[in-house]
Amino acid sequence: MNLALLNPEIALVVLALFVFALDLVWSNKRGIGYVTIAGLAGVAALVAGQFGLNTTSFSGALIVDNFAVFFNLLFLGAAALVVLAALQYGEQFLHWRGEFYGVLLFATFGMMFMASSGDLIAIYVALETASISLYVLAGFRKHDPASGEAALKYLLLGALASAVLLYGMALLYGLTGSTNLAAIGQQIAGQAGQPVTLLAMTLVICGLGFKVAAVPFQMWAPDVYQGAPTPVTAFLSVASKASGFAVLLRLTTSALGPLQSDWQAIFTALAVVTMTVGNLAAIPQHNIKRLMGYSSIAMAGYLLVGMAALAAGGAPSILLFLAAYTVTNLGAFAAIIAFSNATGSDEIDDYSGLASRSPLLALGFGFCLFSLIGIPPLAGFFGKFYVFAEAVNRGLIWLAVVALLNSAVSVFYYLRVVKVMYLNPARDTSPVNVPPSLAVALAVTAIGVVVVGVGIGPIMDTAVAAAQVLR
Amino acid sequence: MSDPLVTLVFYGIAAVTIVAAIGVVSLRNIYRAALCLVLTFLGVAGVYILLNADFVAVMQVLIYAGAVTTMLLFAIMLTRSPGSPRSNAANRQSGLALFAVLVLVVLLVLALGTAVWPQTAPVAAQSSVDVLAKQLFTTYALPFEIASVLLLAAMVGAIILARED
Amino acid sequence: MGQEFYLTGYFYAAVFLAVGAVVVLGGLIASLLLAPRGHKTREKLRAYESGEEPVGTAWVQFPVRFYIFALLFVVFDVEAIFLFAWATRFGQLGVVGLVEMAIFILVLVAGLVYAWRKGVLKWT
Repeated sequence: MNLALLNPEIALVVLALFVFALDLVWSNKRGIGYVTIAGLAGVAALVAGQFGLNTTSFSGALIVDNFAVFFNLLFLGAAALVVLAALQYGEQFLHWRGEFYGVLLFATFGMMFMASSGDLIAIYVALETASISLYVLAGFRKHDPASGEAALKYLLLGALASAVLLYGMALLYGLTGSTNLAAIGQQIAGQAGQPVTLLAMTLVICGLGFKVAAVPFQMWAPDVYQGAPTPVTAFLSVASKASGFAVLLRLTTSALGPLQSDWQAIFTALAVVTMTVGNLAAIPQHNIKRLMGYSSIAMAGYLLVGMAALAAGGAPSILLFLAAYTVTNLGAFAAIIAFSNATGSDEIDDYSGLASRSPLLALGFGFCLFSLIGIPPLAGFFGKFYVFAEAVNRGLIWLAVVALLNSAVSVFYYLRVVKVMYLNPARDTSPVNVPPSLAVALAVTAIGVVVVGVGIGPIMDTAVAAAQVLR
Repeated sequence: MSDPLVTLVFYGIAAVTIVAAIGVVSLRNIYRAALCLVLTFLGVAGVYILLNADFVAVMQVLIYAGAVTTMLLFAIMLTRSPGSPRSNAANRQSGLALFAVLVLVVLLVLALGTAVWPQTAPVAAQSSVDVLAKQLFTTYALPFEIASVLLLAAMVGAIILARED
Repeated sequence: MGQEFYLTGYFYAAVFLAVGAVVVLGGLIASLLLAPRGHKTREKLRAYESGEEPVGTAWVQFPVRFYIFALLFVVFDVEAIFLFAWATRFGQLGVVGLVEMAIFILVLVAGLVYAWRKGVLKWT
């Protein structure tokens, strides 16, 4: 047991408790937000200090390696940006604004352990910690029935998915006699031919498929994305999805490594339906949050293409995609939050003439949408490029073609938003005020979208270093 | 489970559990459905006992048949007209759900029926608390501590969502 | 110690369960057979409230505050289970076990303090 390895996680819990305590005595809720961001930066520094450590502790339940460091930094960065974006939006939470930051930290805590656990039980407990916090966050707009509906749907379907995942894990334990991922990987080869092994693997993938909103486990996503408070939607779409993929990557490479051809087939099928359903269903949407919900389903589909093409050394493309997608999507949501703060609307039609009302906001949002499409040299392009290239390298050329066709479909609905902003006449010509905190969030992400694209070299190196530890 | 009596008891408990579980989803009065759920929980506890997992069985009775059921009944009492005969929600998809469940059952029976589980050294039949406690505080110390944060998050979340503003 | 021996203890428990069921069901059946069956007046069908006149229906909507208490109960019930497991092996687990349990309880106490400071434990 090496307690020092747990420093970032312990610091995060202490930070969460401090935020709750501060909330009881300090009425400046915005100040609590800034304290949270400063604390997250401190935790991120601790995590960054673990880069290159590559060790395990707690009987293998804790893995501190570059992969974990990569994901933990992703979660912490996303959490900090979400807090920044929520500073003003949070006024809708009435006197629960301080708690919002605390529960967000609990969710981040759970996700960090999801990425750095090497044991089925630890993974499950961490996943539940993240999920329960997210259920609560989804229902934070207590006066809004849609928010309550989102929380309830997420909770009920999440509990079902969690039961499926747990059943799969129990069968894996029964087949191998261990909950340790590495030990399972050694034992599972001898059980590869059995139907029950396939069943266990399928159940685990189904349970995690819910987490990342892969079709056919996506039915919660549009409603939850639309009903949840927008900063929570942003967090769900990036951090929660990334945490699901972190677990999928660890499980498939270490515990289910010998079953590669089997899970490859499953991921291929999931990727095709997820991309297609996500993109086609996004087209008729008129609510921007719902649109982003389907867009995030489509993104899960592209990531599943990466999972299908996952072979020795194939993981960096997935990590790069996740990093690019996180930055881009957080930027898009910062813009959506800024717009809804000012106008109280999430309808795409109301974005008419935004370019003349608030040129910088429209520009920032436009940048993010172009990055989601995958226009070079923005971040999203490189994410897609490497994932699709990986599929081609693995001989899955037809899958890459399907992914490209889907990308082409997605141009339609992303560009429609751009068109509404730039070409449609404004019905209301008053400028949209963007508060400094959101302007900073949008600027950071917009710059990130460009920088990840242009400075792709060192970021790719980091992703490669992070993925090296998988198998 | 070589003893025919044990096998007989198992099938008895399993039958009660399954019938009660069907009652949970099919009874129209939600209060009766909740009481059926208690019976299901107790049946599962019985299965745990037959599997030599006595500590888990006690846990099942204390937490599920006890605390969770209490919370469930509270939740029912918090809603407006729980006594009405059609308070257990149902929709037109129950046929579809039944089909899906049957497919799942067939798959499970096929997969589990043919499964060959790796043999482990037989464990001396003793109280499982001892083994479990040792595992919990050594091998699984980390998940155990994460669980405390899980419970804390649940507690705080419930207060946030349920407290009247 | 074989499985038979292990299960014998539960056999006694099952016997107790059966006896308990017989007593309860026997009472009900006996009353069904022996009680005089008069006409059911409205007074007789009314809920028995220890002599009090029942007011309104038995189904009332409880305040949501109860839910928080129920949830706190579940959380500390789970904690009690862990405490029990820890206590059975207290000697062997030693200081490490003590520290682990202390951290666990401290985190939960933080939640209780939060509930108390938020005033959800007050009954007014």
